[in-house]
Amino acid sequence: MSMDDDRSDAGHEDSLLVAEFALGLLSAGEHERMARRIAAEPALRAELRMWNQRLAGLDAQFEEQAPPSHVFSRVEQRIFATRAAGGGWWNSLALWRSVAMGSLAVAVVAIGVNVMRPAPVDPEQFATQLVAALQSQEGSGVEFVALYDQATGSVRLTALSGEVAPDRDLELWYIKGDEPAVSMGVVPLDQRTEIDLDATAREKFGEGIILALTLEQKGGSPTGVAQGPIVAVGAATPI
Amino acid sequence: MQSASAEIAGLISRTALRDRAAFRDLYGRTSAKLFGVCLRILRDRTEAEEALQEVYVKVWQRADRYVQSGFSPISWLVAVARNHCLDLLRARKPVSEDLDLALEVADTGPTPEQAAVGSGERARIDGCLDQLDGDKADAVRGAYLDGYSYEELAERHSVPLNTMRTWLRRSLIRLRECLSA
Repeated sequence: MSMDDDRSDAGHEDSLLVAEFALGLLSAGEHERMARRIAAEPALRAELRMWNQRLAGLDAQFEEQAPPSHVFSRVEQRIFATRAAGGGWWNSLALWRSVAMGSLAVAVVAIGVNVMRPAPVDPEQFATQLVAALQSQEGSGVEFVALYDQATGSVRLTALSGEVAPDRDLELWYIKGDEPAVSMGVVPLDQRTEIDLDATAREKFGEGIILALTLEQKGGSPTGVAQGPIVAVGAATPI
Repeated sequence: MQSASAEIAGLISRTALRDRAAFRDLYGRTSAKLFGVCLRILRDRTEAEEALQEVYVKVWQRADRYVQSGFSPISWLVAVARNHCLDLLRARKPVSEDLDLALEVADTGPTPEQAAVGSGERARIDGCLDQLDGDKADAVRGAYLDGYSYEELAERHSVPLNTMRTWLRRSLIRLRECLSA
């Protein structure tokens, strides 16, 4: 498709700006303006995804060099230094059982909730509503939308009709910051679910909280800690 | 058996669930690549070490965003590193640099991790860049791989700034046609 066809000049120019944005060629001010435009315009986001994916073909040319051995402990210090030495919650557990993603026969149909719309919300006047689109991890095909309403203190989950293997259940977790994942129980696929949050969860729920679904044995993980693979994950944003 | 790429994706998603062992494993498998990115763009070992730490903190903080990014797992990690280093570059005071130091490093052939980038995408961008004049293709590569600004590219190629802008924009138009074909 030639760029000389009936595409408007705005389309030409925008495509170039997005490419320059992706390459890091814009000035600081231009870059920031473009970032805001991209966040607000789906067509520009799609254009950026295209450029990012194509340009990433050059990544093979970055040569590997082993960093000094002290770097990772510094990384952990930065992330975990302020926390109590609890962190070993995950380390003491059985590791994820590897489940071939292809064996999950879960077909889900997306419902039309626009989770990308950055609508202004005055938290003083409106109860906080958060929505998370739990997107499929590679191959699982599981997708959910979750809606949190602070006024009612409940999370409503809608999946797409589908099937999980009869000997499995999906379990929902919330994760705040660096804290361990907390179970919200088993979630059926074939009906809308409403989960009332306890006081702790209500306190933790806010923008950026992460919701995740794991594939567990029937009835959910018996240990209170996720044992199966993550089939869908998403972060909550205000609507 | 999972591909290397699928394994990295699994480690990223487990990192999103705050699995510290997976995060350590992810670092072990990908830090050489990301250190390479930081070294190439920042051209200063001390800065690159500092940047690498900040990059992995960002990886920990943003692991949940990988799913929606549209990138392959390695390329998402490279993008976090590259964007962070570009931010650092722009914040630096301008320093006169010896441009001879920034010669292209000899290509020694793809390592297994490099192969994991995706030979399809690699072939596509290389093929489209090959259709441009050599110096235009170099300019695009210089912007992406070395983080050169328009000013630096103009200097490297000994052309006025506006000429470089025109070159690059025309090249990007042609690239877009080729990449969409």
